[in-house]
Amino acid sequence: MSTALRLILLVTATLILIITAVCYGPTALLDLPRLIELLRLGPITPDLERASLVLWELRLPRILLAAAAGANLALGGLLLQAIFRNPLAEPYLLGLSSGGALGAVLALATGLIAVTWSALAGSLAIAAIVMLLGRRRIAADLPSLLLVGVALGALAQAFTTALILRFDPGALRSILFWLMGSFAGRGWPEVWLLLPAALCGSCLIFLLHRPLDLLALGGEGAHHLGVRVMWLQGGGIALAAILAALTVATCGTIGFVGLMAPHMARKLVGAPHGASIPASVLIGVILTVGSDLAARTILAGTELPVGIVTGALGCVFFLALLRQKR
Amino acid sequence: MNKHALQVRQICAGYDGSDVLHQITFALKAGEVLAVVGPNGSGKSTLLKALTGLLTLRSGEVEIGGDPLTSLSAAERARRCAVQPQTEAPAFDYTVEQFVLLGSHPHRALLAPSRKSDWRATTKALAEADLISLAQRSVCSLSTGEWQRTLLARAVAQNAPILLLDEPVAHLDPGHRFSVHVLLRRLARDQNRAVLCVSHDLNLAAEFCDRLMILSEGKIRVLGPPEEALSEGVLQEVFHCPSLRVTSNPFTGRPGTVFAP
Repeated sequence: MSTALRLILLVTATLILIITAVCYGPTALLDLPRLIELLRLGPITPDLERASLVLWELRLPRILLAAAAGANLALGGLLLQAIFRNPLAEPYLLGLSSGGALGAVLALATGLIAVTWSALAGSLAIAAIVMLLGRRRIAADLPSLLLVGVALGALAQAFTTALILRFDPGALRSILFWLMGSFAGRGWPEVWLLLPAALCGSCLIFLLHRPLDLLALGGEGAHHLGVRVMWLQGGGIALAAILAALTVATCGTIGFVGLMAPHMARKLVGAPHGASIPASVLIGVILTVGSDLAARTILAGTELPVGIVTGALGCVFFLALLRQKR
Repeated sequence: MNKHALQVRQICAGYDGSDVLHQITFALKAGEVLAVVGPNGSGKSTLLKALTGLLTLRSGEVEIGGDPLTSLSAAERARRCAVQPQTEAPAFDYTVEQFVLLGSHPHRALLAPSRKSDWRATTKALAEADLISLAQRSVCSLSTGEWQRTLLARAVAQNAPILLLDEPVAHLDPGHRFSVHVLLRRLARDQNRAVLCVSHDLNLAAEFCDRLMILSEGKIRVLGPPEEALSEGVLQEVFHCPSLRVTSNPFTGRPGTVFAP
């Protein structure tokens, strides 16, 4: 099967999943004529009012947010894996997400600045420290640099936990739920923040697909083929930090998607980024929208944090990967 | 052609405050094969880094195709000068063909799809490095020697007038060592490329190069035709090996070395 055909199949699967996720939930919108009626803008009949409210104010923003988060996480993972020449790199491992979470919790604790800005500052601070340590070294010792990220992430997590303990019990529960990752209770403002970021990020990264190929295959080789390695590494880490921070600020921390999506994409369409970028984005969308669908339907009447679902999925995925490699 | 492809003037370069290269001066003409030999740690790889902008020069100047290296954009440098780096294990499953096709990167706009000429250059380079049968294999599944030939093929497919190679035959079997040297000779003769090849194989280097440079402690010890450059006294001293003797190839008359323990 050609790569183009595989990508088309992936697009189809994504669209089917999104439509399913829109239709399915506590308030079923399954009835197709009704759904079409609802999607048409303009005056609606009173009996459709409740369904319309569910669709426009709850379901759609939630699914678009999940899709954007999935795309962002997948893009961050793919970018960092190429930069660090390591298929295990991703925003969580590198501490970018933990930095974002620390920033966000700090903002919630003090109430001094907006959560988004504070999360951005946290992620970018970690990215800056990692880049400063890797400065001036094209064939830099990448595994050590990755470990620096792991260490900084652990530190950020420790601070976050210390901060959380200072909240009163009522706030504590909601903060913990938020930290575990969730798309519930968000609205259009979050969507308008995350969706443009995902679209711009995708375009920007796709523009650089061949330099990323070269970088993934060796820093010195990339330099000799005209890639400005320091710029691409620095810019790439900064972009991954921004995407991770926006995702954490709006949806909390959702693990493993950034690791799973690029892996699956490379398996499906091959390693070259011209194909694996769109495939990663689509698989990221499938993973988050699917996990969210599972999170809000598995237990009737109550909702799981989506991070728990992706965590469980990630565990199964990597055990399967290990089994296959043996 | 009287303009030198590569002109190196009194360069000094090194790492962390100490110089590895001292006052290196030489020129490389189009159509010429220059072999660089020397003991481990004599500065051969550092020289390649200095020539390609991976290492900032302390002093001196490198000119590529008549223009200072520092004045060239990264893409323009890559169009003028291709490099085969030492082997660095690949981390992702690209096929050999996808890898070699990336050699056309400096000639293409960011989003431009691969053109017919890129595919032609790729197929030709694959054939020249004896990789046709491995074209669809993953680069992660290759042996060290096969991977080294893949790196060479990408540098050849880059179609640059200058070709710099860092020990291109270090991991190859005798048959492929020979065919790679034949290829380098042919690239210089037929396509007028300037080839600089770092090597530890004194015999093959002497057999196929026009000039030979012996690097020792970061300085050029000898630079000249192999018949002049390979003298027993210099070799024994530079390599700290009194058993090293110079002979001549009974078939070609070119100089070579043997050990007399």
